[in-house]
Amino acid sequence: MTLLLQQVVLGLLIGGIYVAVAMGFSLVWGILNIVNLAHGALVIVGAYLTWWLFARLGLDPFLSLPLVALALFGLGYLLQRGLVNRVIRAPLFFTLLLTFGVNLMIVNVLLLLFKSDFRSVTPAYSGSGLGIAGIEVPYIRVGALAVALLVAGAVGYLLNRTRTGAAILAVGADRDAARLVGVDLRHVYALTFAIGAACAGVAGALISTIQAITPTAGEPYTLQAFVVVVLGGLGRVSATVVGGLLFGLVETLGQTMVPGLGAGWANAIAFAIMVLVLVVRPQGLLGRLA
Amino acid sequence: MSDTSESPHFSSEGLRLAGSGRRRILLVLLLVALVLVLLAPLTTTDQADSLGLPSLVDRSQVRILTTIAMFVVLASGWNLVGGLTGYGSFGNVAFFGLGAYTCAVAVDVHRLHLPLAVGIALSPVVAAAFAALVGLALLRLRGHYFAIATLGIAVAVGEVVKNIEFLGGATGLFPPILRRADLVFLYLMVGVALLAVGVTRVILRSRFGYGLIAIRENEDAAQVLGVNTTAYKVAAFAVAAALTGLAGGVFALWNSFVNQELGFSLDFNIQMILMAVVGGAGTLLGPVIGAVVLELLIQLLAGRSDVAVYTQIGLGLLLAVTVIFVPRGIVDFFGGRSRLTLAQIRRSLRETGV
Repeated sequence: MTLLLQQVVLGLLIGGIYVAVAMGFSLVWGILNIVNLAHGALVIVGAYLTWWLFARLGLDPFLSLPLVALALFGLGYLLQRGLVNRVIRAPLFFTLLLTFGVNLMIVNVLLLLFKSDFRSVTPAYSGSGLGIAGIEVPYIRVGALAVALLVAGAVGYLLNRTRTGAAILAVGADRDAARLVGVDLRHVYALTFAIGAACAGVAGALISTIQAITPTAGEPYTLQAFVVVVLGGLGRVSATVVGGLLFGLVETLGQTMVPGLGAGWANAIAFAIMVLVLVVRPQGLLGRLA
Repeated sequence: MSDTSESPHFSSEGLRLAGSGRRRILLVLLLVALVLVLLAPLTTTDQADSLGLPSLVDRSQVRILTTIAMFVVLASGWNLVGGLTGYGSFGNVAFFGLGAYTCAVAVDVHRLHLPLAVGIALSPVVAAAFAALVGLALLRLRGHYFAIATLGIAVAVGEVVKNIEFLGGATGLFPPILRRADLVFLYLMVGVALLAVGVTRVILRSRFGYGLIAIRENEDAAQVLGVNTTAYKVAAFAVAAALTGLAGGVFALWNSFVNQELGFSLDFNIQMILMAVVGGAGTLLGPVIGAVVLELLIQLLAGRSDVAVYTQIGLGLLLAVTVIFVPRGIVDFFGGRSRLTLAQIRRSLRETGV
């Protein structure tokens, strides 16, 4: 029983990371109709930035979060304006190809800069945790979950309570109508992509405190973000939160509780779930029908 | 862009083979190149040596030629689904990996220990059966969902293979090494490539092919017109998988080593798509030209530096440049028609203009 409870807690905490990873991905997909295959690479850029600030300047990873988010925001804005904007109305498949190309470039530039050594961010409190009734709760993972939910709340607030958010949602609903009422499309596109990148940066910062990173570690995050969005449904912040937590839970329980499966099966489990959801309930568990 | 796409004559006009003069020149050039490719390696044999003929190619070049032939198959296979039917698959490497593993397991001394020919013959069968099975589920999805679901299948199948000891596990499988068989594998792979191009041509001119194009242009309309869309799509998927799996089977013996990273290589996965799109998706020769041009480019980039990093950056750049500046591919430039772009632009306009 304690074991099961421990795994549930761990699964939810891991789910927090998935929420953070999927938030920006879901926003860009929902608003711009672009599945950003470079999302995982942006996550890793955030992770390396955090590592660099920690290793060189001794900055605590949770304190450097705003800096990382700001840097990724800038990078995202430039990426969208310079590259992605050119295919914003192109066939879906071409946006996939383009973002995959961007992914290749980012990953390999990181390889040039940092080599393929494992890096990790280890503040003084990284090993310690809280024990409640025999259940181990690591501080860092709790912090990560809190930050992830904070990010989700911030994105939700931005979208639903501000003028900028209204413009973004309008573009997502109907870009031509949005333009007719005076929305600067190119700016909103770039802004949306930038916010997505900033979320990816935050996710990367959180990940760097939990596991060792390499330049090539990003690909799984893109795929996991996709699974989360499919699971929860597209077009709502709450759906991403539920999808992320659920995915963390199912993955953890699947690996530890089902006999014969182990850590090596993570991707297979994830995609089995995804294909199942896609086939049975294509709009996701909480999504609206298109 | 005059919108004549709904007229029944339109697709047949788009596929006319005897097109402009430039296209004919391209065909002749390709044939000459092919003959040269087929003959040059013969100068490396002992017989040629005893006749005093100079060696025109070396072993590494034979290897490059075989690789090009292999990618002609992979790109042509992808083209049947992604180019012709309009379902942009991101996971065709699953069929390659399945073919390679089928052959490797079949001929392995400690496993099934079947003759080599049987191993190669089984590869396309297993790959096609798998494609038909997952195709029934996945081909109901469209756009991004189909693309990523296929990618998911490729990653998941690779991982399952890696976790099962009978299939080699994390170590991989080692089919018997065949000595002095470079040329055999070259001609075998070229044969498979010719088969892939031939099959594509037959499909392009058949009722089946027109049905696939109709699905690409407007699936609902195709269904109304009486095309059994599910059967057509699954069949196209299975044919593509059979060709890709066959190439995988030959690859397993040629390389005499398969593991998850190799069989389900995400590099191969993206390269075959890139080749088809760069050459011209939806056309007969686009994937062929794309495979030749891109593989030579990759070899060139790899030759210039000993780090794979620059090759990858170059590939990424090429992807971006292709998508932005020549989305219709090389064949289009020579007067051929690659109808993928127009069709997909129309579709995406429909989708985004809700």
